[in-house]
Amino acid sequence: MSDRMLTMAEAVREAMSIAFDERPEVFLLGEDVGIYGGAFGVSGDMYHRYGAERVLDTPIAELGIVGAAVGAALSGMRPIVEIQFSDFTAQAMDQIANQAAKIHFMLGGALHVPMVLRTPQGSGTGAAAQHSQNLEPWFASVPGLKVVVPSNPADAKGLLLAAIDDPNPVIFLEHKLLYKIPGRDPVPEGATRIPLGVSKVVREGKDLTIVATGIMVNKSYEVAEKLAAEGISITLIDPRTISPLDMQPVFESVEKTGRLLVVQEGPAQAGFINEVIAQMAGSSSFGSLIAPIKRLAGMNIPIPYAPQLEKAAVPQIEDIESAAREIVKNWR
Amino acid sequence: MGHPLSSPEHARHALLYMWRIRKFEEAVEDLFGRGMMHGTMHLSIGQEAAPTGMCMALTLQDQITSTHRGHGHCIAKGADLTRMIAELLGKKIGYCGGRGGSMHIADVETGNLGANGVVGGGIPIAAGAALASKMMKRGTVAVSFFGDGAMNEGAFHEAANLAAIWKLPMILFCENNGYGMSSSTAKAFAIDDLADRGKGYGIPGVNVDGNDVVAVYEVAQAAVDRAKAGEGPTLIIAETYRWKGHSRSDKNLYRTKEEIEEWRTKDPIPKFIARAIEAKLLTQEQCDAIQNDAIEAIKAAVNESVKAEAAEPSGLLDAVFKAVTA
Amino acid sequence: METGELINFHVKVGDQVKSGDVLFEVMTDKIDMEVEAPADGVIESLVVAPGAVVEIGKPVLIMLTETEVMAFDFGDDDQPVAGVEVATPAPSVEANVVAAAPIIVNTNVKAVPKARVEAANRGIDLRTVNPTGPDRTITMQDVNGAQLDPAIVKRQAANKALIAKGIEMTRAIAQASFNRQVTAHFDHASFIAAWAKVLRGRPDLAAHEHIGVALIIESKYGSALPVFRDPDQASLDDLRALVASTTDAAKNGKVPVAMLSGATTTVFDLTTYSMSSATPLLFPNQITSVTIGYDSQSSKNISLTIDLNFCDFYDGALLLDALVASL
Repeated sequence: MSDRMLTMAEAVREAMSIAFDERPEVFLLGEDVGIYGGAFGVSGDMYHRYGAERVLDTPIAELGIVGAAVGAALSGMRPIVEIQFSDFTAQAMDQIANQAAKIHFMLGGALHVPMVLRTPQGSGTGAAAQHSQNLEPWFASVPGLKVVVPSNPADAKGLLLAAIDDPNPVIFLEHKLLYKIPGRDPVPEGATRIPLGVSKVVREGKDLTIVATGIMVNKSYEVAEKLAAEGISITLIDPRTISPLDMQPVFESVEKTGRLLVVQEGPAQAGFINEVIAQMAGSSSFGSLIAPIKRLAGMNIPIPYAPQLEKAAVPQIEDIESAAREIVKNWR
Repeated sequence: MGHPLSSPEHARHALLYMWRIRKFEEAVEDLFGRGMMHGTMHLSIGQEAAPTGMCMALTLQDQITSTHRGHGHCIAKGADLTRMIAELLGKKIGYCGGRGGSMHIADVETGNLGANGVVGGGIPIAAGAALASKMMKRGTVAVSFFGDGAMNEGAFHEAANLAAIWKLPMILFCENNGYGMSSSTAKAFAIDDLADRGKGYGIPGVNVDGNDVVAVYEVAQAAVDRAKAGEGPTLIIAETYRWKGHSRSDKNLYRTKEEIEEWRTKDPIPKFIARAIEAKLLTQEQCDAIQNDAIEAIKAAVNESVKAEAAEPSGLLDAVFKAVTA
Repeated sequence: METGELINFHVKVGDQVKSGDVLFEVMTDKIDMEVEAPADGVIESLVVAPGAVVEIGKPVLIMLTETEVMAFDFGDDDQPVAGVEVATPAPSVEANVVAAAPIIVNTNVKAVPKARVEAANRGIDLRTVNPTGPDRTITMQDVNGAQLDPAIVKRQAANKALIAKGIEMTRAIAQASFNRQVTAHFDHASFIAAWAKVLRGRPDLAAHEHIGVALIIESKYGSALPVFRDPDQASLDDLRALVASTTDAAKNGKVPVAMLSGATTTVFDLTTYSMSSATPLLFPNQITSVTIGYDSQSSKNISLTIDLNFCDFYDGALLLDALVASL
């Protein structure tokens, strides 16, 4: 069993390998995904196992390679494109937002783009402002893109398999800090898919609902476990797919707990998690709230370099813990 | 298809498709003038030889990506005229069901991956299509049509380089009509010969008279042969001219009447008629009949489209994603 | 429709008119109509001439009625006599019939959403709940623990039982009204102070932390209800000044925002309309209201309405007696 406690990098590689084995039209392209094994080691030995024709090293040309992935997807292939850092998707945004996202709709459904764009995001590595952003809202605000933010290896595997199957462009945002750590749960063998657009109730409690994305799910989980010892019982919901977003478990949970804390890594202003708040505010579950909704998000600044500054820029475990404790204590 | 002067049938095809493009564009201008068409339009009158010549070197399975000035590419590749007009009129039977309009017509059956509203947007996509062809050993080529303006986009550079290093079966087909909207090539390029750009990617760069459908076909066929032989892409620069403005808002402030008049004398259609008659492939009467066929085809397309059911907003939300099938 | 054209007068200065007599005719873009005298009286002056275009609500003539003789002493000698301005009326065809709907009282109280839902379900006035949450916000705990005064709870139960024995009454009709004539001399300030003091002696009926007396003031913009908080605890001079300035402001359609909420009872001076009595309304979340009506030259008619869910007939009689005695 212990050998199934994979890291996210291993889980993503396993999912890609399964897809490679299942479908000849699946291939991987990106900068240094070949012999190098990927900047974060995600593709690993795939180059040796599948060959240079299916694990395609590209020049440093994000717009070109995403465009090539779009064209290949339109022509019967199922490309997985890796962009080395999510920050560099800015270089490729025309192909992502104007082409991939719109083609199916704009062309009246004549064509579709079964493509997955995997890219690492997030802070905590000391790589500073151009290598550390959380860009969830960029993608979640574009109709036509599905956006997946896995928080653990088991989900990453199942969601990536579903993303590769999906006939639409999927942006798959992997947090760098999760690549090297094993998840809490073993990663199942085989090719089990986790459908996109289904939120996961990670744990259930009666006092507070936390909705968090990506790495913030892990941080919130730790907080929930710790506060359980103090008698504070927390429901933790991981949307997993932020577009399309499944709010139903959030509504149901808030109707029970009456308290909602939302946590994201990216800057607060116009952040993705604000969508959760907006949908809650406009729902009939609003009347169940016994406390104001609390939001924890990154500061509205570029990610700074120095470790103490970088930590200050995004929510940490202590922030989540004190926010959770305060909500439950103050609002009874 | 084959060489425009290889048989009466080929000559007829070349002439018919140039006339179809010309008459289609004239009909669009007319419909626009009557207020029946919404939005904007980019007409390719004067440029008919380039797409016709290029597409005569292609099979139905070969793919193209097109531009905002894309009606000609679409027609030359064999699209249905009624569905095209219907799209411009926002009808349900239009190619995009009214969701795309003039700049987004695609036709899967003829290998048309779509026109593109973003300058240069289709070039990397064509590279990807060529990549897919190569990976799937389909033996098809992908042609990206673009204008001179797109050659200064990063997308052109990145796609040309990818196609070159991977030896993709791709053709980079530039319709150099002299202007990117109002910016002349003289203002936008520091080189005189745009085909020189090919050297930078290690691929052939070829110039051709874009108003000579025969010449275009000949360089296109050579490029197709090279691509299908696995030798990689070719950059073709077809020099041509648009008689009309960039779009409906153009007042032609950046070019002279004399220049436009001079290019009108280089009309690709009479030029080809003369050659076809000279080669005894077509008679003048046959040429007139072909022109008439084109006019009738466009008329029929307009008549049917006008009567067609308008596109409706219901179902728009469901159209964003293709449904996932288990 | 904003104006009307005066066609002609049916009266001249000095004429004695009876309530219902036609005073003038007016033509609007909607309708031509005859305007009748609202009361008996004497025509004092004609303000506009026939043919004039008059804004709705502006005076057309001034008529002296008997109310002039028994006008209140407002503690201000310069106070104009109580004339009746007979203004251009808005034609009745303009009146919209508004379906009766529950009134949502947006109190200035902060409360979490579920507390509002809960309070509404249980009929709790959030203004009576002590907020213990951050920023003085009412929490669920506050609402759940909101104990109505035990005396009120007991009385409510008793009264409800009583009522249930007879006929079933909803809160809206479980009311009773009482009348008494008084000869005492008072003005608005001394009246509301006296009434507040009476209520303060009965915290079981007030059920609020404060006493807020809403005084209905008519203005061309409609009725204004400025609320005087704890008027019995201010000096009478200060209160008079406040009532006077607020009345002036209200007539100009301006009531300070701070005075727009917090009413726990309402006072309605019918003499403004030359009326002697009317059954006073009970506003939501209030269990008493009082009217001052014309009785005779030397006396007023005071009416009290109470909510029988909170007090009984005996309470009503006691309250009214206490009020009359304190005037």
